[in-house]
Amino acid sequence: MSRDDTTAQHPVVELDNVEIVYDRHFLAVQGVSMEAQKGDIVALMGPNGAGKSTILKMISGIGLTERGEVTRGSVRYQGEDTTNADTNTMVDKGVTHILEGRRTFEDLTVEENLRCGLYRGGRRLSYSEEDYELAFEYFPQLEDILDLKAGYTSGGEQQMLVIARALIHRPELLLLDEPSLGLAPKLVQDIFETLTEINREEDITMIIADQNAKRTLEIADYGYVLENGQVELQDPAETLKDREEIKEFYLGTSREEGRYTDIKHYKIRKRWT
Amino acid sequence: MVDASTFLSISIAGIGLGALYALVAMGFSLIYKVTGVLNFAQGQLALLGAYGVVIFATPAVLGLNLPAVVAVLLTIVVGLLLGIILERVVFRHFIGEPVLSVIIVTLALGGIISGFLRFLVGPNFMSYPDALKPGWSIDLPLGASIGASFTLGVVLSLVVVVSLMLFFRYTVTGSILRAAAADEQAAMVLGVSIERTIIIAWALSIAITSIGGILLAMASGGAGFTIEAVGIIIFAAVVFGGLDSIPGAFLGALVVGLLQEYGSFYATGVIGPGAGEIIPMVFLLVVILIKPRGLFGTERIERI
Repeated sequence: MSRDDTTAQHPVVELDNVEIVYDRHFLAVQGVSMEAQKGDIVALMGPNGAGKSTILKMISGIGLTERGEVTRGSVRYQGEDTTNADTNTMVDKGVTHILEGRRTFEDLTVEENLRCGLYRGGRRLSYSEEDYELAFEYFPQLEDILDLKAGYTSGGEQQMLVIARALIHRPELLLLDEPSLGLAPKLVQDIFETLTEINREEDITMIIADQNAKRTLEIADYGYVLENGQVELQDPAETLKDREEIKEFYLGTSREEGRYTDIKHYKIRKRWT
Repeated sequence: MVDASTFLSISIAGIGLGALYALVAMGFSLIYKVTGVLNFAQGQLALLGAYGVVIFATPAVLGLNLPAVVAVLLTIVVGLLLGIILERVVFRHFIGEPVLSVIIVTLALGGIISGFLRFLVGPNFMSYPDALKPGWSIDLPLGASIGASFTLGVVLSLVVVVSLMLFFRYTVTGSILRAAAADEQAAMVLGVSIERTIIIAWALSIAITSIGGILLAMASGGAGFTIEAVGIIIFAAVVFGGLDSIPGAFLGALVVGLLQEYGSFYATGVIGPGAGEIIPMVFLLVVILIKPRGLFGTERIERI
C-alpha cells in the first residue's frame, strides 16, 4: 500500500511487528505488521488458528479478557499508541468489534439488541426509535421482527442484527470476525454487499477476518494472508486475487494441478524484514 | 377453625411479611441477574441494614443520636457505598475467574459482616427508637388490619419491583445490563464496563436489601440477629420465582410469606412449633424437583 508519510493522515490502525501471547506462554501471533487506511476494507485471510481473530481481539482490546497480551511491537489507532488498551478505551475511540459466532443477546428482543448499540461509554440515557433508522436503512428486514427474541431469529437475521447493532454504535473502525460463517452463499453475498454499501456511505473503515477468501477479497481494498501467526502474503485485493497461491488454496480457482510443496517458494518477502 | 376473618388476617400478615422478604429477595435476584453470583451474604446484608439504624440512631453504639429518618437514609447510603467499595476492593479482582470463587467470597463476606456487627453492637436485641416504632395500622374489611411496617413493606416492595422492571425493560442501561449478563464479551465490545455493571448491581442490591432489613427490624420493634435467617428463607422465594427474575422474586417472596404465616397458624397444631419455618423450605425442595427454573427463570434458547 502506498502511503505518503508527509501527510498528517495516519492509518486508522497500524500494527508494527506485533507479537501476541496468550496466558504468558502461548505464542499466537508473531511479527505481524499491517495497517488499515481510512475508508478501506481490509481482508484478513487464512486458515483456522492462523491468528486472524487474535489480531482483531488485540485491536479492540477484548483479547485482554482472554489473557492475551501484545508482548512486542505496537498497535496504533489514528496515530495514537493503543497497545494493550482495554475495550472500553477502544470503544470510546470509535472501535466496534463484531465477535465471531453472531453473538446476539438471545433472551433480548431484536429491538433490545439494537438498543444495546446505543450504549457507548455509559453516557446514553434516553433513546427513540429514530436512533435505529441507520440500522433499518441497511437491514430493513429487522424492522419486521423487532419484538422477536433474537434467539429465535434465523442465522442470517442474527448476523444482520449484530452488524446493525454495531452500526448504531457509530464506529469509525468496524472489526468483523467471520461474518460469513455458517451462512448460505446467497446470504453471504447479500451481507457482503451491504457491508460494502456501509463502508462507502458511512465512511466506516473495516477489517474483515473471514475464511471465505473469495468473497472477502471481492469487496476488500487490501488483503493479508496469515498462516501460523505470521503474514504470508499481502497486497491490494486486486493483485492478491490473481496470485497463484491464493487461487490454489483459498479461492479454489486454479486450473493447474499443484501441491503445497510446489507452491511454497512463491511466498513473498515479508515486509518487516 | 378456618373462619373467613381469621383467614383474612393471616393472609394479610403473610403478604406483609412476604413483602419484606421480597425486598431482600429482589436484592438477591438483582445480583444474580446481572453478575451470575449467588449471594450467600444476603441475610447478613439485611442484618447490616437493620443494625445500621441502631448504630446511627441510638447513642448505645457510637454515641450518635441522629433523627430516625436521617439514620435510615444514612444506612441506605452506606449500603450504596458498600456496593462500590466491595467492587473496588474485592469483586474487581475476580473478573474472569469462575463464578464459584465469587460465591465463596460472599460466604466469607456474610461471616465478616455478621461478626463485625456482633463486635460493634453485641449479640443482644437492640430496640429501635420510638420514631421507628409506628403504632398506626390500616383497618381492612372483616375486622382485619395491616400494621405500619407491613404497609410500608408492601408499598416499598411494589415501588422497587415496578421500578426495576421498568429499568430493565425500557432503559438503555437496563438492557445492556441484561445483555452483559447473557454475554459479557459481546456487551463489552458495545462499551459496557464489567466493573460498572458490578457496581450498579451490588450498590442497588445492598440498598434495597438494607431497606428490607430495616423494615424487618421495625416489624419486631428492633434489630436482632434472627434477621439473618431471611438469607435462607428468600432462597425458597427466588427459586420459586426463577433466580434471575425480579418479579419472580417478588411473587415468590409473597408466597413464602403466606406459607410461613399459614404454617405457623394452621399447621403448628399438627406438626408442632416450627411449622412456619419448615413449610417454606419443603416448598423450596418441591419447587426444585418440579420446576427447577422456577416461574419466570430464563430458559436458554436452544436451536436445533
